[in-house]
Amino acid sequence: MRFFGLRLARGLLTLWFAVTVTFFLVRLLPGDPVLAVADPNMTEELRQKLLADFGLDKPLAAQYLDYLGQLVQGNLGMSFRQSIPVTTVLMERLPWTLILTMSAMVVTIALGIPLGVLAATRAKGWLDRVIQLTGVTAQSLFVPSVGIFLMYVLGVWLGWFPIGGAVDLDATGFGATLSMLHHLVLPCLSLVFIQLGGYVLTMRTTLIDALGEDYVSLAKSKGVRPGKVVWKHALRNALLPTTTIAGLQLGTLVGGAVLTETIYAYPGIGRAIYEAVGQLDFPVLQGAFVLLAAAVVVANLITDVAYGILDPRVRTS
Amino acid sequence: MTAAAVELTPRQRTWSSFRRNPLGMASGIVLILMALVAICAPLIAPFPEGYGTDTSQPPSAAHWFGTDDIGQDVFAQVVWGTRVSMAVGVSASVLAIVIGLLIGVSAAYFRRLDTPLGVLVDLSLSLPVLPLMILVAALAGPSVRTLAVVIALFSWPEVARVVRSQALAIVPMPFVSAAKVVGGSSLWIVRKHLLPGVIPVVGVSVVLTTSRAVLAEAGLSFLGLGDPGSWSWGTILHKAQQSGALASAWWTTLFPSLAILLLVLSTTLLSVAYNDARNHRSDT
Repeated sequence: MRFFGLRLARGLLTLWFAVTVTFFLVRLLPGDPVLAVADPNMTEELRQKLLADFGLDKPLAAQYLDYLGQLVQGNLGMSFRQSIPVTTVLMERLPWTLILTMSAMVVTIALGIPLGVLAATRAKGWLDRVIQLTGVTAQSLFVPSVGIFLMYVLGVWLGWFPIGGAVDLDATGFGATLSMLHHLVLPCLSLVFIQLGGYVLTMRTTLIDALGEDYVSLAKSKGVRPGKVVWKHALRNALLPTTTIAGLQLGTLVGGAVLTETIYAYPGIGRAIYEAVGQLDFPVLQGAFVLLAAAVVVANLITDVAYGILDPRVRTS
Repeated sequence: MTAAAVELTPRQRTWSSFRRNPLGMASGIVLILMALVAICAPLIAPFPEGYGTDTSQPPSAAHWFGTDDIGQDVFAQVVWGTRVSMAVGVSASVLAIVIGLLIGVSAAYFRRLDTPLGVLVDLSLSLPVLPLMILVAALAGPSVRTLAVVIALFSWPEVARVVRSQALAIVPMPFVSAAKVVGGSSLWIVRKHLLPGVIPVVGVSVVLTTSRAVLAEAGLSFLGLGDPGSWSWGTILHKAQQSGALASAWWTTLFPSLAILLLVLSTTLLSVAYNDARNHRSDT
């Protein structure tokens, strides 16, 4: 229980850090936030009124406490451009980003484990070399490049998948679900491409180590089939570092989702960020970061708990 | 190993085993060529600006990489883009390494600083960096200098962590205690004993940080946060996205994409080859 309590405290600390860093960055960087919403030639009176409306005339410490108080109530401020709360803007986008990132993670793990096993059981062979080199190359890819390539080949050229949006608006019931999955394929694949390398390479290294352990030699000498030794004995231990990788790659996954959603006009948080950049809508940018940081903290908590369940040792240490 | 090989200094041994790695050597040559393109850009192609008459042309003898929707030569854009992409990548990486070295070494040497600095590094590493960079770059206003500083500002924790763990192994060594006993100042000990010990690790870090910085620059420029007055590979992709050329004119996106891939892949392979060469156990 103490283990999970500590992890929870750590998550809350990370969240507080994210919120505080953005607050001070936004306030202390040069640039008048009021200029972004209004005409630079406005009267001083109007400027003061706008500052008061956004609460920017109070001392910094008071602004900070206000901001924290509002955050706890789920209020991220007002969008400069759309005149609706940032929370409203982002909350309708969040489910799409969650669908995209989670499906990408599931597919990556489903492909990464067998590929890692394949490479590890044929260590130093040509297949292993190919998998390793592909893994390193995949990690060097620029997400939008992968997205554009897949869009071009599978979407435009072969016409197998739609190249923009998340769902056909006129589809209903089961048809809507199918259309959603159909739209999901290309953005999801783009994310899988850039994530897979990390998983496969980690899986490969840890499994090679695990295969050298005493309990593997013991199982082999007892006459357990080689396939069973790999899948039942060694893999179980090699899964632990893979859980860690899932946590470490969350940042890359979120960054990748922002870029992928931009390419495919996928209506998630990432696309909202792209639109907000074009309109200099700072509250939306700030809110999107806070929300994504919160999502990463929650996902990290989940991987920590999973690790704790998989490996009882970490709970006591 | 022969007697002659044993007499080589560690640096020579690293170099001689590095030279035997074809992938590493090829990567090194590619990087040198790209740096030459970046330096000699004005000699290779005129700066792409204004409107041209041949719009959205596929690659031809006149325009090797084709033209974009306003008739600018994509080859010229990619050549000039090499400049900004490499300049931002290298300067962001140098800045991140300096900050990371300072923080990492101080955390390892001054015990009282270790916990707060460690927590700072841990917290920074667990945040999604790209959305944070976007926020800061948008607030600070787009320019080449902003990009380099913003990327460095959020890339140093990785370096600090690597440096700290390496430096922690050196601090308890007898020669460090000896230096303290004879009255060496902290600054002197750090400079004479700690820095030389962590530099080899930093060598790999420089390369990896540069490739990550190049990707970060491309990402920010792609989202529209690039310097409006200059070209980078991400900017070319951003313009293609805005003009709707993504799904029609493949040449406007393929060539900048290949440039990014070539640079990042060769830096990665170079660091792998350097690591293998430094690890002398593997070549016996």
